[in-house]
Amino acid sequence: MSDRRLPRLLQTPAVILLLLWMLVPLSMTLYFSFIRYVLNSLRRPEWTQPSLSNWRGFGNYEYVLFKAKDFWLAVENSLFIVSSILVATVVLGLALAMLVNRTFPGRGIVRVLLISPFFVMPAVNAVLWINMILDPVLGLNGIAVGAINETVAGLRDFPVLGAFFSLWPVLEPISFRGTDTSAYAVIIMVTWQWTPFAVLIFMTSLQSEDEQQKEAAILDGANAWSRFRNLTLPHLARPIAIVVMIQSIFHLSLYAEIEIVSRGNGNKNLPYLIGEFTSNNIGAASATGIFAVILANIVAIFLLRMVGKNLMD
Amino acid sequence: MATIDHTSSFGRIFWPVLAWTIALIFFFPIFWMVFTSFKTDADAVKPEFLFSFTPTLENYLNMTENYDYWRFATNSVITSVFATALALIVGVPAAYAMAFNPSRHTKDILVWMLSTKMLPAAAVLYPMTYLTKNFLGVFDTHFLVIIVLCLINLPIVIWMLFTYFKEIPKEIIEAGKMDGVSTWGEIKDILIPLAWGGVASTALLCFIFCWNEAYWTVRLTTTEAATLSKLIEGNRAPEGLFFGRLSAVSTAAVGPIVVLGWFCQKQLVRGLTFGAVK
Repeated sequence: MSDRRLPRLLQTPAVILLLLWMLVPLSMTLYFSFIRYVLNSLRRPEWTQPSLSNWRGFGNYEYVLFKAKDFWLAVENSLFIVSSILVATVVLGLALAMLVNRTFPGRGIVRVLLISPFFVMPAVNAVLWINMILDPVLGLNGIAVGAINETVAGLRDFPVLGAFFSLWPVLEPISFRGTDTSAYAVIIMVTWQWTPFAVLIFMTSLQSEDEQQKEAAILDGANAWSRFRNLTLPHLARPIAIVVMIQSIFHLSLYAEIEIVSRGNGNKNLPYLIGEFTSNNIGAASATGIFAVILANIVAIFLLRMVGKNLMD
Repeated sequence: MATIDHTSSFGRIFWPVLAWTIALIFFFPIFWMVFTSFKTDADAVKPEFLFSFTPTLENYLNMTENYDYWRFATNSVITSVFATALALIVGVPAAYAMAFNPSRHTKDILVWMLSTKMLPAAAVLYPMTYLTKNFLGVFDTHFLVIIVLCLINLPIVIWMLFTYFKEIPKEIIEAGKMDGVSTWGEIKDILIPLAWGGVASTALLCFIFCWNEAYWTVRLTTTEAATLSKLIEGNRAPEGLFFGRLSAVSTAAVGPIVVLGWFCQKQLVRGLTFGAVK
């Protein structure tokens, strides 16, 4: 009877495709990471083709770790950006989900408005935010700061209050393309895009919360905060874990946002660093790629432990 | 069950107003983009014309001239549609097998599939470029973009379909088996009609992800198969000169997808969370 064989046959194409997708490029990356391989070298033309005779052992890894700049900056920045976005989206998402969980007029529209950013193309998101919103001269950032300054300047002419307002400084709009600020621009735009995702998940989960339990807690005199801490938060533990997992997968490989905001100026993550190496030194790019795979795996093991248990029920 | 309303009258006004305010703030960048697309490039950068200006359709009319919008849009449609179809063709049988004939390894296979999503694209981009350029000669073709889009979304497609199929009572499929329906018949005549909503929203979500994908499509294409993501990335530094035009192109690129997203927001949750959140 083909009872057991056929189902296995049906999932074979998917398994084989994903296996190839994972193994073929990954083993090539592994190979390239152990040889000298540059795209342009007049001095050593033999290095411009991948070949076993250019074997370098762990030389590329050593180079990336100890000689090349920016590796540790990229690792730190990757983690900084991912964790900031995670904290911001989860906290904001929780607050907003609680807010729209009650019934009020126009709730459906509020929900649709709130969720929309999630569907915006990342490239559009980055171009829109950095040029039209965060830009200190042409964006709303500059216009808003200008308006505040003007208002304050106007208030200075006021009889009594004027003395108070003349103590206010004239504000300068922040440029988000700078070395020390561009990471924040990325965090802001990605948080804008992914908070809706957290809201969507938490909102759905809140709807299945046990209302009777809540009523009982209210009758027992529990205040809103302790109801949230002891009932709602435990109820949301799993959705929070899922939001953290899915977002980590997506944000560890952020690229477009970083390139569009600052071209990596002071704000690289691992994918961006790999992109930079790829313009010439493929060996170093591949070694960095292997480091990125290791980092992703550490995060993945950690995350799958967190949610994996009850994934199937 | 009737719930008692404990909200004070202050709260009954305050919270909805807060919710509306925040929702409008969140939507504002999108509104601003659409709004700017009706300004001329000159008006778009003048602070004094923030809200008073003569609306114009010029940006939309000029889209073809300035940006070759239609070529990119056509490529986006072709690649997203075919990649979604391919993902479903591969994904439906796999999810069917896993949901109705699970083996000891099914759970591991599902988790492994998910983990392929965690492989950083940057780590394997160069080999992919090398392979497709030097050996397969498929670089910058629709074929390549379709395959890649299909593969990066396949884990999520299978994951979603599995969740929907699991909700169908096993007995219905078994009854079909008793009546001597073939496996293909089971999928086509029983499973898909029963899980139609799930299959449709999976397709919709997969289409959205394909449409918005930037990393691979930008780097594996030059001109022939380039999609809207590439068009947007190519115009990323307009230095304020072309805000109007850029907004129009951006609006045309994300508009349809945002509207699609509104329709499938509910199903999205179930699929994206492995059904763990109901």
